[in-house]
Amino acid sequence: MKRLAIVLLLAAAFLSGCQEETAETIYLYEVNPVDIREEGADKNSLKTDLEFISLAYSDLYGSTPTDQELINLVTAYNTMGDKELVADIVIRNLLNNERADVPTAQAMRADVSTFISETYKRFYVREPSEYERWFMEDLITNDPNVTPEIIYYAFLTSNEYRFF
Amino acid sequence: MNRRNFLKRGSLLAASGLVMPYILPSGRLFAKTMSRKVNHVVFCLFAGGIRNIESVHQNEGNLMPALLRGQGSTMPGLQPVPRSPRPRPLQEEGTLFKEMRYAQGPTGHFNGHTVAITGQYTNTGLNLQENPQSPTVFEYYLKHNSPSQTALNAWWISNALGPYPALNYSKHPSYGAQYGANHLAPTQLFAPGVYPAISNPKQFQFHEEEAIGKVRNFLNDNFSKQAAGNGAGIVQSAADRQKISDFTQSLIAKAASGGLNDPIGMPSRLANNDVYTITFAEEVISEFKPELLAVNMTDVDVCHQNYTQYCNNLRKADYAVAHLWSHIQSTPGMANDTVMVIIPEHGRNLEGNSIADAYGRFAIDHTSDPTSREIFGMILGPPGVIAQNKTVGTAANPVGETIDMVPTIANLLGFDAPEVKSILPGRALTEAFA
Repeated sequence: MKRLAIVLLLAAAFLSGCQEETAETIYLYEVNPVDIREEGADKNSLKTDLEFISLAYSDLYGSTPTDQELINLVTAYNTMGDKELVADIVIRNLLNNERADVPTAQAMRADVSTFISETYKRFYVREPSEYERWFMEDLITNDPNVTPEIIYYAFLTSNEYRFF
Repeated sequence: MNRRNFLKRGSLLAASGLVMPYILPSGRLFAKTMSRKVNHVVFCLFAGGIRNIESVHQNEGNLMPALLRGQGSTMPGLQPVPRSPRPRPLQEEGTLFKEMRYAQGPTGHFNGHTVAITGQYTNTGLNLQENPQSPTVFEYYLKHNSPSQTALNAWWISNALGPYPALNYSKHPSYGAQYGANHLAPTQLFAPGVYPAISNPKQFQFHEEEAIGKVRNFLNDNFSKQAAGNGAGIVQSAADRQKISDFTQSLIAKAASGGLNDPIGMPSRLANNDVYTITFAEEVISEFKPELLAVNMTDVDVCHQNYTQYCNNLRKADYAVAHLWSHIQSTPGMANDTVMVIIPEHGRNLEGNSIADAYGRFAIDHTSDPTSREIFGMILGPPGVIAQNKTVGTAANPVGETIDMVPTIANLLGFDAPEVKSILPGRALTEAFA
């Protein structure tokens, strides 16, 4: 018993000595490493005209266009040299159809967070980042002019939507 | 300062005034270029493959009474075409190049168009899905014209799609989409089935547009890549884009109200794509008064299957071109200040193929035989600018080639800068100048 007490005493002395040594450690105060890549950074492939129009159609209508519908849409797209302009006209036309699956403003404002998640998943095939979620929530909550159609149209005509 | 120094300094100052750029009152850098002869050029590709035998040689009688002098045709099977709106054949309002040549390369429609629009022969096979390698006349104009203009002043109106939309700009590293023309294929845009895809766009109110801008800017700020560039069409400002959007919607409204029935005075039962294409070119002219507009017609290419219909379509194209010229002359700002340049892209073979039409006439292809390289040209314009009622070139002594069209247009509009001339192998057809 006496021997055990001596061992414990020596061990305590050793450990306390160690603690004294660690007291000299330099502490670094810094944030944890954060991945600062932009959301959607892995999207590198530009959609072809056919893919762009076909996906816009299916993202809005929930079904793929028939062959004839696709031919008509691509023909319309090819008839004008300003692709940004004609894409805009085609998208506005798709949006202005009762087949477009667009929630009401009331439904959007009833659950803004879900609306934002579903919109990002529908058009960007990803979840929004925290920052994106915060910005969109703030915008929808504080700007009564913002409607689901406006959000959908902005997504469909944004740069990220043109990439896979 | 002695006399020698005075003269030296004076001559240097004068020389610098000739070559140095200067600042306009607007603040824009104004680089001096060659002087203009006119402020507008309309380049009409009377295309689809037309033999000189049926056009200027008039072997079937005069199938082009609106353009050419000569006894009318009595060929059986011809459809009625309205009389020319001009009081005399167009050849009397300019210079006829009776024998020109498409000298090199395959006599294909897209090859021919590419040569005419770029001023460069193409001897290699063309990738139909790609823009040409050499700069187009639109790019030369938009890059080198001074003061610089926007694409609202440069239009390419094509009769069909396929490869033709790709002719509004090239893949040339020093040019490209940023100098591209506005392209429109109106007969395709307004085709049944296609038309509904663009005819009812959602209209946002001003405050909604502001909200859209806010959202889109946020989205684009969070994504570094852009869909712009050579694959994304031409580049123009939002304001210009809006003008074209408004113009397109006005055309849609006009078509819906029947305003485009019986186009350019031709009954709709007779009107073909060429006639409608010219109709829309006239609409662009009325709206934008462009400095450079190119338009093509291709319906005579029915000649691969039906010779008589080829002759009918030749007559319709003839009428349409005269109507276009008449429209220009009734458009304030363009009347008496426009030159119209007309050429087919190539001819057709001497020998027919094996397909006979209802009248027993054989159809004709175009496979690069010597006859398929024979074309005509016509340059119309104000008397002080273009030589009137003049004919140049004979079969034994042809004058002018397809590659001369771009240098001629560059000279007329004054963008034939040394950099342009150094690229182009052709020459301005000065024989047509007054």
